Amino acid sequence: MHTPRRIPFAPSGRILPASRRIRLAAAAVAGVLALTPLAACGGSSGSGSSTSLTMWTFKQSHVAALKNAAAEFKKQTGISVDVQAYGPDDAYTTKVQAAAKTHDLPDVLEVHSDGEDFALGATGIVRDLSKDVGSDWSGLYQKGVQISGTVTPAHYKESVPSDSKSHGVKEGQRFSVPLTSGTFGIVMGNKKTLAAAGITKPPASYEEWLADLKATTSKDPKNGGVSLGLKVKATGLTWALQPLAFAELGKEKFQALWGKDASADFSSPDGQKVLADYAKMQPYWMPGTQTLDIDTADQAFAQGKSAWDIGGTFTLAFLQQNGMNPDDVMAFGFPGPQGGTVPKPALAPLALTGLAVSSTSAHPDNALKWMKFLAQPGVASKFAKDATEVPSTELGANAASVMGATLADMTQAFVGTPENTYDPNVADFRPPGYDQDSMAEILADLTPLKQKGVAATGKDMAKLNGNFWATADK
Amino acid sequence: MSTVPRPAPARTAAAGRGETPRPARAAGPGTGRRVLRRRTYEAVSGYLFVAPAVILFAVMGLYTVGYGFLLSFARWNGFAPHWDWVGLQNYKDLLWQNPAYAPRLHHAAMHTLYVMIAVPLLTVLVSFPLAVLLNSARRMQGLLRSVYFVPYVTSGVAVFFAWQYILQPDGAVNTVLGSLGMGSLSQPQGWLGNPATALPTMIVVTVWGAVPVAMLLYLTGLQSIDRSVLEASQLDGAGWWRTNVSVVWPLVRPITSIVVLLNLRDSLQGFQTFLVMTNGGPGDHTNVLGLEAYRLAFLMDLAPTLGLASALGWLLFAAALVIALINLRVMRSAT
Repeated sequence: MHTPRRIPFAPSGRILPASRRIRLAAAAVAGVLALTPLAACGGSSGSGSSTSLTMWTFKQSHVAALKNAAAEFKKQTGISVDVQAYGPDDAYTTKVQAAAKTHDLPDVLEVHSDGEDFALGATGIVRDLSKDVGSDWSGLYQKGVQISGTVTPAHYKESVPSDSKSHGVKEGQRFSVPLTSGTFGIVMGNKKTLAAAGITKPPASYEEWLADLKATTSKDPKNGGVSLGLKVKATGLTWALQPLAFAELGKEKFQALWGKDASADFSSPDGQKVLADYAKMQPYWMPGTQTLDIDTADQAFAQGKSAWDIGGTFTLAFLQQNGMNPDDVMAFGFPGPQGGTVPKPALAPLALTGLAVSSTSAHPDNALKWMKFLAQPGVASKFAKDATEVPSTELGANAASVMGATLADMTQAFVGTPENTYDPNVADFRPPGYDQDSMAEILADLTPLKQKGVAATGKDMAKLNGNFWATADK
Repeated sequence: MSTVPRPAPARTAAAGRGETPRPARAAGPGTGRRVLRRRTYEAVSGYLFVAPAVILFAVMGLYTVGYGFLLSFARWNGFAPHWDWVGLQNYKDLLWQNPAYAPRLHHAAMHTLYVMIAVPLLTVLVSFPLAVLLNSARRMQGLLRSVYFVPYVTSGVAVFFAWQYILQPDGAVNTVLGSLGMGSLSQPQGWLGNPATALPTMIVVTVWGAVPVAMLLYLTGLQSIDRSVLEASQLDGAGWWRTNVSVVWPLVRPITSIVVLLNLRDSLQGFQTFLVMTNGGPGDHTNVLGLEAYRLAFLMDLAPTLGLASALGWLLFAAALVIALINLRVMRSAT
């Protein structure tokens, strides 16, 4: 028997039959459900509490080191830091962009220095730190990276075109402070494999390295080659060809390869010479290296599937994570050719990653405290050991003992003069809107894909470069 | 034949639910108000019920579609406070005008075209015979159907990673070829590392994922064919082959149209497999239009190319619409 009941919250005495009640309840639930997503569109960012911070990083190898530092920071200040890692890089970028849209950014972000930080600053995702970072703070860093994250006149010039990624930044603004330094274009060899092929010391030139490659691949054709994560397209171009081209041609002619002058670009004799030298690596690539991303290429090296690996100072931490003893690695900067203009090139250290404060952080002062804490020499030393990374903080004479022998060897690649040092930071000679991935796709057809010869590759690269200039000049 | 008028219900609807029957009242102004109230109430409750779906569609559907369409006429990086209106420039840049984007797009369009031709064709060529065989299986038809359906239910990022391992230089495919004495067919750089085999391999992987649904659709079609038609053809002397080619195949033509249409759409707009397995590589030998749109939208480090990505999305939509209309036309004329 049906028994009518009172509707909760209904005017007194009003009775409705069950079917109506059910319908009304369903409608109410449906209404609430419909509004839920809209309500979720609100929200805040960063941690709400004044004694806690959140920080995101794209480097899994930094997490443990940052957590150790965070524990010490909490002891000293009472502020806890929740460190969260999201990777790989592309996924992290997408995550940050999505979080910025939904106002769910953390307080502190680890960013790629002198690029991504400017793009995030231009869009208002991270805040301008120029008034917060004084000389007492920036003076803690190595000289070469003290102004990293700051919009210099050169960076400002790059930002002027409306299609620039950093369009909108102002000269003098600062969007990050450096955390780790180093460089790419570091070649690593497995000491045991090399010794088996009779190689006991780093090569003195590109030609010697090619001879070493020949020796290891002759000894073990399957596992004696060089791995490089060419699925991430720009690696071949930026980590191998560019240092080689700098050593071959010297600074001015190197920069002219990306200029407007057809007599000096990649289709010119200079460009052809560089490409021909680069193509000499063709027989020595690890089989299938073009299908590997950076991490899987490094993993292949750690697993003994390749005798050599091209990466950066940051690679060592990943190799260690994958079970390789850093002492088993022979490391050196990408060698220059014997007859080149700069036969013994050095690699300029650059800030690889930095720290930025999200513009929606509820506690920017605490975030700044945390970032300054990480810059202290004692904290940075511990971070360097825990993460097997080169910190941006100046460690002085203790650097070698703190970082370990192999990482210290890598930093030997930094020693040079302004004339013989390849500085990947300098990019203002390239056309605005330059897309290195598109350029690298053409280069990959030369080697390892062997789809085009040197002349055709140079012609196509010069044509694409010209297209970028044409677009910029419109 | 006449229709007998139904007598008026003797009881109100409430009576059917066990309530005390109430005598019918004479029609009057009070009755009219009640009817009106009831209708209003029903209308309101009806609107309330559809409101969630309407709101969701308005927010997630109309708003985003309209937003995306407007975005295709703007230059924006997703975060800048203002859009720069560029009119049709994004479309022009993509199609012919900007030498930094147009050649890439043309190249990706060629790859997409190959995929659009090969995937539907191969899917039909594999799934129809498979469905015919499965339909004629006397035993374990359910089990076999489940087994053939596995690729569909397992397709996802993890499976595409597994495919990557299988296709590597030291992966299962090369190992099997080597152990069968067909080492000359193996790919020393891996099946995804050789520009000549990368796109065909991606097509095979896509077909592998598309066959289960197509096969199931064919199976449904085959099971709905009147057995008397098949028996009649057999009585007329048609063998197994002749029956399938001349009787069954024409009868399942509408299903073929659906299979082709679904796969054309997936080939035109899909990119997940390519993103996970090759990222358009090696070089740009497997770059497709969907992947290019994704790259322009999310992988340009906040460059103001969202408008270009949106314009490319609308171009793909237009192409999909044309294909659908052609398919509809062909289907109508064929049936």
